[in-house]
Amino acid sequence: MSGPGVGWYLIVAAALFGIGSLGVMLRRSPLIVLLSLEIMLNGANLALIAFARQVGDLDGQIFALAVMAVAAAEVAIGLGLIVAMARRDMALDVDQASALRG
Amino acid sequence: MVAGAWICLLAPLGGALAITLLGPWISRRAAGYVSTLTTFLAFAGALIAFFGLWSRDAHDREQLSTAYTWLAAGDFQVGMEILVDPLSTVMMLVVSGVGGLIVWYSMGYMAGDDEERRFFAYMSLFVFSMLLLVQAGNFLLLLVGWGLVGLASYLLIGFWHKRPEAVAAAKKAFVMNAIGDATFALAIVLLIWSTGTLEFSAVFEGVDGLSSTAVNLVALGLLGGAVAKSAQIPLHTWLPDAMEGPTPVSALIHAATMVTAGVYLLVRAHPIFEAAPDIQSLAAILGAVTLLVAGLVALVQWDIKRVIAYSTMSQIGYMFLGAGIGAYGFAIFHLMTHAFFKALLFLTAGVVIHHLSDEQDIRRMGGLKSALPRTHVAFLIGTVALVGLPPFAGFWSKDAIVASALARGDALGWTLFVAGLLGVLLTGAYSFRLYFAVFHGKRVTVTQQTGDSHHAQHGEGPMSMLVPVGILAVLSAIGGLLYIPGVWHPFTHWIEETGEPLVEATTGQDYLTSAISVALGIAGILLARRAFQLDRQLVTMPSAWRVFEHKLYFDELYDALFYRPGAALANALRRRVEEPVIEGSLDEIGSGTIFASGGLARVQSGLLRTYALAIAFSVCVLIVVFVAVR
Repeated sequence: MSGPGVGWYLIVAAALFGIGSLGVMLRRSPLIVLLSLEIMLNGANLALIAFARQVGDLDGQIFALAVMAVAAAEVAIGLGLIVAMARRDMALDVDQASALRG
Repeated sequence: MVAGAWICLLAPLGGALAITLLGPWISRRAAGYVSTLTTFLAFAGALIAFFGLWSRDAHDREQLSTAYTWLAAGDFQVGMEILVDPLSTVMMLVVSGVGGLIVWYSMGYMAGDDEERRFFAYMSLFVFSMLLLVQAGNFLLLLVGWGLVGLASYLLIGFWHKRPEAVAAAKKAFVMNAIGDATFALAIVLLIWSTGTLEFSAVFEGVDGLSSTAVNLVALGLLGGAVAKSAQIPLHTWLPDAMEGPTPVSALIHAATMVTAGVYLLVRAHPIFEAAPDIQSLAAILGAVTLLVAGLVALVQWDIKRVIAYSTMSQIGYMFLGAGIGAYGFAIFHLMTHAFFKALLFLTAGVVIHHLSDEQDIRRMGGLKSALPRTHVAFLIGTVALVGLPPFAGFWSKDAIVASALARGDALGWTLFVAGLLGVLLTGAYSFRLYFAVFHGKRVTVTQQTGDSHHAQHGEGPMSMLVPVGILAVLSAIGGLLYIPGVWHPFTHWIEETGEPLVEATTGQDYLTSAISVALGIAGILLARRAFQLDRQLVTMPSAWRVFEHKLYFDELYDALFYRPGAALANALRRRVEEPVIEGSLDEIGSGTIFASGGLARVQSGLLRTYALAIAFSVCVLIVVFVAVR
């Protein structure tokens, strides 16, 4: 097998996941939070595909496809929510959307 | 024959169901017809059963008919079965016959009442319950009828449920009866435990093998049930209050159903009582005490129906006396004649009450002889039959019981004999006090109530009221001729198949008793007449009057013995346990939950990023844990 070893892929995947999760935790704009989520998912995808290549079967790749489908659906709903919030002139700030506080 | 008995049992049930289910789709009058016709259908069935039995050989007059096995638990089985024998056919005839006349009468009496359909459904249920009671082929089914009778009486006494007195009276009747039901049920459990069966003949055969303690306890339990149902001392206090129900209900309770159930039980279960002679004597003593006490209290009552109610207690006392000394045939005979004249007295009292726009106080009655001539004659026949003057019904049956007490011979027999004769004197006095107060003396003016269409007609009432009264008057006059001492005795002979009498009076004793009792009865009548003419009361001593007016303080006694301690205990429990412990702990639980959840709620901040942080942190912790534990 040519190219870099699976460890490199995993390092990139972990980096992507960490960047995404920091974005989710630190940014307040829902749009950026959504983007960060996508980055996390892609990090996970990368890890799945890397392992699939190493093991040599297609299960991991199929998982990755399923994750992409879920991600697409999630983006559709998330963007829809953000548009709805914007239409109602609500502040685009996840800290202010806290009506569910106990 | 058996088919007749089943018809007799099920027809009133069918009537009750039909009225209940058809409800508003049938007119009120139709409900009355359904109830009356089904009760008379039951009477026809009873006649079929009676003549079927009559045509049989004298020793073969007992048939058990089982519809199906009702309960089965291992060897112990109870069937849905009825017993057709001489005793039960007589009871069937009395219950359905007199009951039918009373239901017919109530069509006229209740016309225009708000809830006639409910009334007739209850009446049919009452008749059915009593028929089940007398036809039951085992003790459990008997208990079912017993309980249903209590239920139906509760419903009917409280029929006018907007009157608080009626509701209270219904409750009282139910509670007093429940005491008897409980002792009866205990006796039945004891029977299952000791004999393993509840069927009459099997139980009666097994009684001999039991220990005397067991037999005495069973007999005592049965006696408790009989005493409560038949309103004997000490469980009698419900009966006078039961007068709050409509008059036909009083007639039904006193004549055809309910109070006679106790006497029936004493006669039906006579082998058990014979095995426990002390308890049987106790029944006779209770009967004697009741007949005297009720006679004394009746002397001072002002309510026309209460006087008659106390006379019922007194007459049932005679029946208990008879059953207690073993004169079963005469006890049932008196039960039958009493059903005739007591139904007659109540129904004529109902005519009087109707005529006077629901007036029941005899101080506001008088001189009704000319206004109600036919009722007057009927009432007089009933009263004379009650006092027991020949040739009216009460004479033959009551004297036979008293003579049997004489024939017993020992000290108890003599005591009962004297008590029975004193009772005759009292009966003559109180019943004619009532008669004179209602029908003689100054004429009362009927207060016309405008707008009350229910009582608009102030005659003697419609035909549906007068015809049953007429039939009952004839029966009260000649119904006693089924027994003439020394000449013929078909009735007692008939009952002998079920219960062989323990004592038998000689013809001489019979005639001696009759002579004394007729003399005493006439003396009582003359006393009442003298008091009436002098415009005085029968009881002139104020202290005695007070005691009798308070019914010998039985209500007050029970109040002090049972009600007040019970209420005090309940109040104490409420103050000491309910409020501080139970309610307090509920409050504590509530406030504790609120406090704890308040802390938990603070975690749910609504800040999305905090949640994400919490998840990330938890994942890190988990990773560390997994790695470390590995």
